Amino acid sequence: MGKAFDITLVGEFLPQLVQYLGVTLQILAVSTVFGIVIGIAAAIPRLFRIPILSQLVVVYVSFIRGTPILIQLFLIFYGVPALFLLFDIDLTRMDPLYFVMITYSLSNGAVFSEIFRGAIQAIDYGQTEAAYSVGMSDSQTFFRIIIPQAIGIAFPNMANCIISSLKDTSLAFTIGVMDMVGRGETLIASTAHALEVYISLSIIYYIVVLVLEKLFRLFEKRVNRYKPDVVSSA
Amino acid sequence: MIYLQGIKKSFRNQEVLKGINLTIEKGKVVTILGPSGSGKSTLLRCINFLEKPDEGVVQIGDVRVVAEKANKKDIMALRKQSAMVFQHYNLFAHKTVLENVMEGLIVAKKMKKAEARQRSEQVLERVGLSDKLNYFPSQLSGGQQQRVGIARALALNPEVILFDEPTSALDPELVGEVLAVIKDIAKEGITMLIVTHEMQFAREVSDQVLFMDGGVIVEKGSPMEIFTNPREERTRKFLKRISGGLPVHWIQKTAY
Ligand SMILES: Nc1ncnc2c1ncn2[C@@H]1O[C@H](COP(=O)(O)OP(=O)(O)OP(=O)(O)O)[C@@H](O)[C@H]1O
Ligand SMILES: [Mg+2]
Repeated sequence: MGKAFDITLVGEFLPQLVQYLGVTLQILAVSTVFGIVIGIAAAIPRLFRIPILSQLVVVYVSFIRGTPILIQLFLIFYGVPALFLLFDIDLTRMDPLYFVMITYSLSNGAVFSEIFRGAIQAIDYGQTEAAYSVGMSDSQTFFRIIIPQAIGIAFPNMANCIISSLKDTSLAFTIGVMDMVGRGETLIASTAHALEVYISLSIIYYIVVLVLEKLFRLFEKRVNRYKPDVVSSA
Repeated sequence: MIYLQGIKKSFRNQEVLKGINLTIEKGKVVTILGPSGSGKSTLLRCINFLEKPDEGVVQIGDVRVVAEKANKKDIMALRKQSAMVFQHYNLFAHKTVLENVMEGLIVAKKMKKAEARQRSEQVLERVGLSDKLNYFPSQLSGGQQQRVGIARALALNPEVILFDEPTSALDPELVGEVLAVIKDIAKEGITMLIVTHEMQFAREVSDQVLFMDGGVIVEKGSPMEIFTNPREERTRKFLKRISGGLPVHWIQKTAY
């Protein structure tokens, strides 16, 4: 079992664990970028009321919302190779990192699509009519008038979602990914100082979250600079 | 020149426009009066196809669109002939005053940026906003926002500017500055079609006044004719009501 608590070990573990921060950030970056792409693709059928596709999106979003991310991770980890096996393609040797990225991209995509849809619908239709009245086309109106404002509205919610998905990446070790937590588990196995490892991990996650929050707030100020509260406090 | 023929529009089963025919010569200022729900906004919005008419012909300048056969391209061409000033301004919230005015010039008219800027600054000076070029709409009063709306329309140099109750959303003390701007550009010879409840203003600015009720143009004439000697009972009743209970001869007197 665990050995006597030794605070100095935290200082020893921190640098060893931080080396694996890159894997965590890699998962986060990939799943954010693909999440945005999936989110846009999934928002479109519902915004334009495309039949069938929009129903599929509804099911997808509600499934992702209604199931734990850990279960989704296992579903992808076991499900995707099983699916490919039907076509005689063997994925059992694939790096589990990819399954993590797929899972988190799909999960973020569902959440982002709802955020995007809400943001676009939040923009007063009067501005669209004004754009038409000065002779702008549908796509000019969408990309020049609606999207820039929708990004500002969507951003705070996206930032929250990205931060919670950073924390969710800590589950990746369950399918054998060697990220910070994965490395932590091996440290625990070899030293039996679990508490010190988890303290170290919490410090690293917390600092990363604080840095991200700071960055997001700066960016948010910039995209929403036309809004009255931001303007007056600037 | 604007030419409308047989414009009909229904929402669900309610016929809101019952076949509007209208010709407005170039450079004329025409105001539309009428009770709430009579179809004034719908008529204006049919002219630039923000609402697609069910039937009829809309012609502005040399662009002629038949409602039943209108495709996207026709509608775009027609919209480039007109500009609109909205009751609630409808400014682009993420763009500055200057950018609001430049947007249509750059994107729809494909004007060079420097030229668009110069033209926009010129027009904004015209409406008295030279000192607000880099403000966002949220930083302006209602009257200032509506003057930006007018500048945005004016900059396009359209065949016609459509105004839908441009002062109805404004605090009373801000109405004057907006009406003054409209009167000023009316002198310039731009064709204007204005829906308004400001009788005094309509009397002063119009070449012709239309009275609408129940989806038809009930009566049209010079401001003198409409305000001092309306032929139709419905017009008389409306004018009496809108004059706030004052006897009709009060409006008649101010009409001279
Ligand atoms: N998009 C719409 N859908 C359904 N009904 C509509 C729509 N737009 C207008 N209407 C109806 O059409 C009728 C005429 O409306 P319109 O807005 O043209 O009247 P108006 O003369 O401009 O009135 P107001 O002076 O109140 O602005 C009203 O009964 C209104 O309820
Ligand atoms: Mg109206």
